[in-house]
Amino acid sequence: MPRKPRRKQRPKSWPVTFSPFARALARMASVSKPNRRSKSIESSEKPTRSSTSNGSSKHTLEERPEGSESSDGEFDGVVQADFAFFDPKPNDFHGVKTLLQTYLDVEEWDLSGFADLILEQTTVGTVVKVEDDEDEGVFALATALNLWRYREQRCIMKLKEFLLLKASQEKGVGDQLRLLLGERAHNVGLLVSQRVVNLPPQLLPHLYDSLFNEVSWATEDEPTEDLRNSFQFKHYIILSKIYKHKNAEQQKRKRSDDREEEIVYVKPEDEIFHELSSWSFCFPLRTQQPAPHELKNYRSMGLIMTVEADKIPTFRQQLTSLINEG
Amino acid sequence: MATRLQFENNCDIGVFSKLTNGYCMVAIGGSESFYSVFESELGGVIPVVKTSIAGTRIVGRLCAGNKNGLLLPHTTTDQELQHLRNSLPDQVVVQRIEEKLSALGNCIACNDHVALTHTDLDRETEEIIVDVLGVEVFRQTIAGNILVGSFCALSNRGGLVHPHTSIEDLDELSTLLQVPLVAGTVNRGSEVIAAGMIVNDRTSFCGSDTTATELSVIESVFKLRDSQPSVIVDEMRKSLIDSYV
Repeated sequence: MPRKPRRKQRPKSWPVTFSPFARALARMASVSKPNRRSKSIESSEKPTRSSTSNGSSKHTLEERPEGSESSDGEFDGVVQADFAFFDPKPNDFHGVKTLLQTYLDVEEWDLSGFADLILEQTTVGTVVKVEDDEDEGVFALATALNLWRYREQRCIMKLKEFLLLKASQEKGVGDQLRLLLGERAHNVGLLVSQRVVNLPPQLLPHLYDSLFNEVSWATEDEPTEDLRNSFQFKHYIILSKIYKHKNAEQQKRKRSDDREEEIVYVKPEDEIFHELSSWSFCFPLRTQQPAPHELKNYRSMGLIMTVEADKIPTFRQQLTSLINEG
Repeated sequence: MATRLQFENNCDIGVFSKLTNGYCMVAIGGSESFYSVFESELGGVIPVVKTSIAGTRIVGRLCAGNKNGLLLPHTTTDQELQHLRNSLPDQVVVQRIEEKLSALGNCIACNDHVALTHTDLDRETEEIIVDVLGVEVFRQTIAGNILVGSFCALSNRGGLVHPHTSIEDLDELSTLLQVPLVAGTVNRGSEVIAAGMIVNDRTSFCGSDTTATELSVIESVFKLRDSQPSVIVDEMRKSLIDSYV
């Protein structure tokens, strides 16, 4: 598996936990953010297309956010980390499973089977970990699964049932969803993208670049014609979470200079996907996590949307500009 | 016999339940199927009690007990304490203790005769353990970990400990506990044994990620396999018959 030369991570001496870096990131998130953030991002692209790796390209992103002074004496706010993107490996099972824990809300389904499915598809799929981390913690995951190729898998069948059940309460979209999951499934990809809450957003354009590049390389590099065709996605289905304002109806009637937005997106790229989507709908979630103070007027909802594959280049552009300006 | 199950897609069933020879405690709020697995395996033999501790569902990790008694952390509410006293058999002494290490399930591993505890446990708590649970107490570590309750699962017939336990430690612990011990994993390589499985002398429950190999190790060390005459004959045949003529 091609890897790129990386700098050693130099952790500061904070309490040893099961993942020192994750703990530091969590502290960063709780520390008040400074007004200016100077970032230095190095990204060297090496599109290696050896026959064994099937055109996987790995990026190294060096993230050096600066924090303000914290109340804790030993932590001075500078975290250095080398994130690395890897092909999914069987070893990543527990990390991937943790990230997918609430994927289908509280439904009991073959989550382990779903995690295994993602890990077996090494040609398309990326797992984000910290370089030289002993615990090999998985920080983010992105993949695209062809719904026809895996239609016989128990987890995919249950997932389709779940989506159709949620859609049955929405007028109009139910039939379109049924088509996508049934007859047109040959060209439909389930876009799965999960991450830890405080993952630096600078990684996102690279993560999605690598995912969509792998998809296009797979259409050329896969050994059989069936497999090559299975990556010719025309549609992507996305299942995600958002926060919707509890008084969404009232909001529309209020003055336009109202400060609170109707929808808060947990993942920034969801906003772009939502705009570019052919159709979408929300459904209430049964897991209600205690919301942070700023979101006390919001309720978490699931969001299902579908995006045409030819809108992806636009998405990639908009994501890059969104992250760079934010 | 060992049964595989999960609690709301989570394979750490030892977190949400507690099993002893006298009773079984299960967290509230799980699906009915979780509860019914326990009912069908244990129903009639020992009571299956639904409860919370300190308003949480992590009942398996907060309490420690055996057939003689049950120890609860100081964070247990009065209603929970009363509910447990009412639901458990009369011979089980239910006691709430003032111990700053409140996750008693992580600090204490015990069967009906002996207990391993966290090295920093209070002297008073140790005395209460001896009184209430009727066991001999040993302060130990397992593979260098002080949370002995998390890294070992113990019954009167055997024990499963952290996979990195050295042979010397295994021998030493086995002598103290007077049961055979094996170092292994549960839930597809998880080292936190007590979170992934619960066991008593007759039966065991493991997370659904547990592989067939792990399950067979569990069934063998805790002596849960049904002993059929044919099994014994087959196993003995190799040692009895040298060669066929």
